[in-house]
Amino acid sequence: MDNGIYLFAAFGITWTIIFAYVFKLFRDQRALGEQIDHIKTTIRRNIRIDGGD
Amino acid sequence: MKRLQTLSIAFQVLTYVVMLFALYAIFLYAPVEKTMGVIQKIFYIHVPSAFLAYLAFLVTFIASILYLIRRETRWDTVAHCSVEIGVVFCTIVLITGPIWAKPIWNVWWTWDPRLTTTLILWFTYVAYLTLRRSVKENRRANLSAVFGIIGFINVPITFFSIRLWRTIHPVVITGQGLNMSRPMKFTLMWTMVAFCFLFFALLVSRIQIERLKLFIEEVTDIMEDMISKNSERN
Repeated sequence: MDNGIYLFAAFGITWTIIFAYVFKLFRDQRALGEQIDHIKTTIRRNIRIDGGD
Repeated sequence: MKRLQTLSIAFQVLTYVVMLFALYAIFLYAPVEKTMGVIQKIFYIHVPSAFLAYLAFLVTFIASILYLIRRETRWDTVAHCSVEIGVVFCTIVLITGPIWAKPIWNVWWTWDPRLTTTLILWFTYVAYLTLRRSVKENRRANLSAVFGIIGFINVPITFFSIRLWRTIHPVVITGQGLNMSRPMKFTLMWTMVAFCFLFFALLVSRIQIERLKLFIEEVTDIMEDMISKNSERN
């Protein structure tokens, strides 16, 4: 079992890379959600301005 | 749309379950190899990662050809997303390989044909991603498709490098099939399946995000156009 540290390192790094990528996808998705909210707000504001005319 | 979302979530849960079984098989079911000991278990993540990197680049190759024939943005999106995931798996291959090599070969790295060609493969597809960021939008898809096709030449070279040149890298698939015991074969196959599930789950999510990004860009452009026209009228 003296090589256990290498095994631990290999699995640890592999899962860190996979989770980091999944986290990146999650962050991108959240950023897009924020952009959609921004678009919604802009559209609502413009509709209100048009209505005011 | 809601059905598609439910299917996507179900697939992700299934991926999670299959992956848990794969970890069980690696650590508790597969026997410890006599010569290498526990370090041999790295093989169960190293080989499927290499296989998936090749698969991802194959998907890019096919999608790039389809893009050049049909000129549909969706094929460019598939090619781009697949390269990104392929690079992730290729990175895992390049990290787990040296970790296995250190106690077995007594060196972290050697300029062996398999190792060298894999490193070139990684650089090729990192260059693909860099190219996409640096090229103007109107030329991006065309150039990427050409790169995706030419870059694929590296994949068979990397795969057959252990047969074409003299190498110290172990040969997993021989003329007699897989040279290992039945539980080891089963574990490898199960891990391959689990990694395939992971690959498709990541690819579907990545494509969905990319399509949403393109859609938002389009909507933003239309909206900005409308706002400027409105302000001109007023």
